[in-house]
Amino acid sequence: MHNYKSMKLMNFSEVTGPQFHKVHVGVGHRLDAFSSGVLVLGIGKGNGVLEHLCKSHVTRDYMLEGEFGKATDNFTHTGRVIEKTTYDHVTLDKLERVLAMIQGANQKALIMYSQVDLHTQEAYELAVRGLLYPHGKSPPILTGLRCIHFNPPHFTLEVQCVNETQKYLRKLIHEVGLELRTSAVCSGVRRTRDGPFKVENALTRQHWTAGSIIQAIAHFSKATRKIRKLEMYKQTAGQLNSNAQVQEQTRSQTDE
Amino acid sequence: MALVSIRSCGRCGFLLGLRAYATRPVGTPRKREQQDDTPVFQYVGQHRKPQGKVFVWGFSYTGALGIPSFVVPDSGRKKPRKYQLTPYRLDTEQKISSAACGYGFTLLACNSRDLTKLWGMGLNKDSQLGFQRTQHDRHKSYDYVLEPSPVSLPLVNPQETRVLQVSCGRAHSLVLTDSEGVFSMGNNAYGQCGRKIVEDEVYRFVFQQYKQHAVTHGLGHHSKASCPVPVGGDLAGVKVQQVATYGDCSLAVSTEGQVFGWGNSEYLQLASVTEATQMSSPRLLPLRGVGRVRQAACGGTQVAVLNEEGEVFVWGFGILGKGPKLSESAIPERVPATFFGRSEFNPTVKVSSIRCGLNHFAAITDRGELFVWGKNVRGCLGIGKHDDQYFPWRVTVPGHVTDVACGVDHMVALVKTII
Repeated sequence: MHNYKSMKLMNFSEVTGPQFHKVHVGVGHRLDAFSSGVLVLGIGKGNGVLEHLCKSHVTRDYMLEGEFGKATDNFTHTGRVIEKTTYDHVTLDKLERVLAMIQGANQKALIMYSQVDLHTQEAYELAVRGLLYPHGKSPPILTGLRCIHFNPPHFTLEVQCVNETQKYLRKLIHEVGLELRTSAVCSGVRRTRDGPFKVENALTRQHWTAGSIIQAIAHFSKATRKIRKLEMYKQTAGQLNSNAQVQEQTRSQTDE
Repeated sequence: MALVSIRSCGRCGFLLGLRAYATRPVGTPRKREQQDDTPVFQYVGQHRKPQGKVFVWGFSYTGALGIPSFVVPDSGRKKPRKYQLTPYRLDTEQKISSAACGYGFTLLACNSRDLTKLWGMGLNKDSQLGFQRTQHDRHKSYDYVLEPSPVSLPLVNPQETRVLQVSCGRAHSLVLTDSEGVFSMGNNAYGQCGRKIVEDEVYRFVFQQYKQHAVTHGLGHHSKASCPVPVGGDLAGVKVQQVATYGDCSLAVSTEGQVFGWGNSEYLQLASVTEATQMSSPRLLPLRGVGRVRQAACGGTQVAVLNEEGEVFVWGFGILGKGPKLSESAIPERVPATFFGRSEFNPTVKVSSIRCGLNHFAAITDRGELFVWGKNVRGCLGIGKHDDQYFPWRVTVPGHVTDVACGVDHMVALVKTII
């Protein structure tokens, strides 16, 4: 005898479709359509931590692929070509000199936007340890820049930055070209690290299943706890503010 | 040439046998078969060599910067610029190989065989820039020279001799040539020009030449010496590779990397060997933890040395570069390398040369960056503000800095372009 209750149509998954739990998913620092790499997502309660991550001014690592010889309207190799130039005078030596100059200007900006009075002994102590960082609003600043690969017309740069957008990084490639009296376009932007989240721990398409996601969340529970604690420290008033944050950053940097 | 055939609407179907440029959405890549007819521009040839440039900054009213429009504006709407707080390019006809800054004047030298090898600008009241004949009176010399003007040297072979180095004091200058010895000009009240002291001399028209290298006074007594005499003390028989002096303290670096000092020790410059305020004879300074010294530089009250590893040590009195708290030190203190750009991205940055002005320091790294620190007298640091700088700070110069000369209130940098 059939149990009619159990034969209700809505009990069959073929009728209702797969059952889902509604979960809120948030995205961390944006990655635009042209770029690739690490994208941090927060699930459920992790969304709150995402906000703290965004505010904490962690650095991000990128690999930028560039190509000499042309300038386009959107700084990428897919845009409309505005100008073509020769690049046979460009050598690795000259490229490194230009990168050193750009990095020098950015190091200066780093200290200037740190909003610390430079005439105090505390500012000197922070500067010695390399801990003068922009804590408030700042324009994009590169904390590290070097050339990984050079094979004219193609070259690859490794960049470490704060407060950046991918469009700024493509424009950086264009400016490197201008400094070398030629033109350059960006053929790829790849984020290899976003704060403590590295590309080695990133989940690729095949791993977008519940099991791997839960494993990944567990792996990063320590890091998320740190970020949450950071925010708690931030909310307490006074000197403790900058000191602890600075310590947390050094700790998370040494962990990497 | 690729043929693109398009069948437009079904009703009037015709084949287009030519290339057709239909508008396509932004971002889709061009087809590779289409030819690109955009012309290729060449901005720089393949064999272009970097050029030398000169940048100046600091106090401009003495004319020491060599830009007349700062002192006497050439257009009615411009105002005189008293302080040039950031590096400003000085146009020179020739490539300058050596520069020196005195108190309110500058000398630039080019090591070519041309007839004009030396240019001077700034104060000329003691003839430290030679005789600059005025337009109106052939027997008078200009007191202030606002533009780099040729300094004529009484050379025997003006078309063969080259100028190797120039050096300036408070009111006198010295020029080193390769085959005709040293020339001196300017104030000689203490015999600093190496000629006999004449009481109440008028310094406007005097020039003297000496065949030996002029040496600073370390002769063991306190009276004036008006002729160059070899220095004794611990330096007797020692091969010296570099001598540095500014106010009243002198340092010499031997070829073995040892430092000898003599002169004023009021500000603890020589406190490692003596507690007296003066030392009239050179003594070897046992500097601990410094290693082999490559270069030394003296300021008015402070002293700096650079060792073979590219580390900078400072001591003396004043703003030493380790924060506002450290204003005096008798032992050498190392300036941390993180200030000169050393980081995980660049772990091998070292300092390649150091210079001292009266109250400030300048350091050039092997990557061509210039760092300054010290008292910012009338904008001499070139950092864009009038505040003193308590730790090394980068000066933004468009190029690779090869040499810098520090004066009391101005500085000159010799820069090589990147391309």
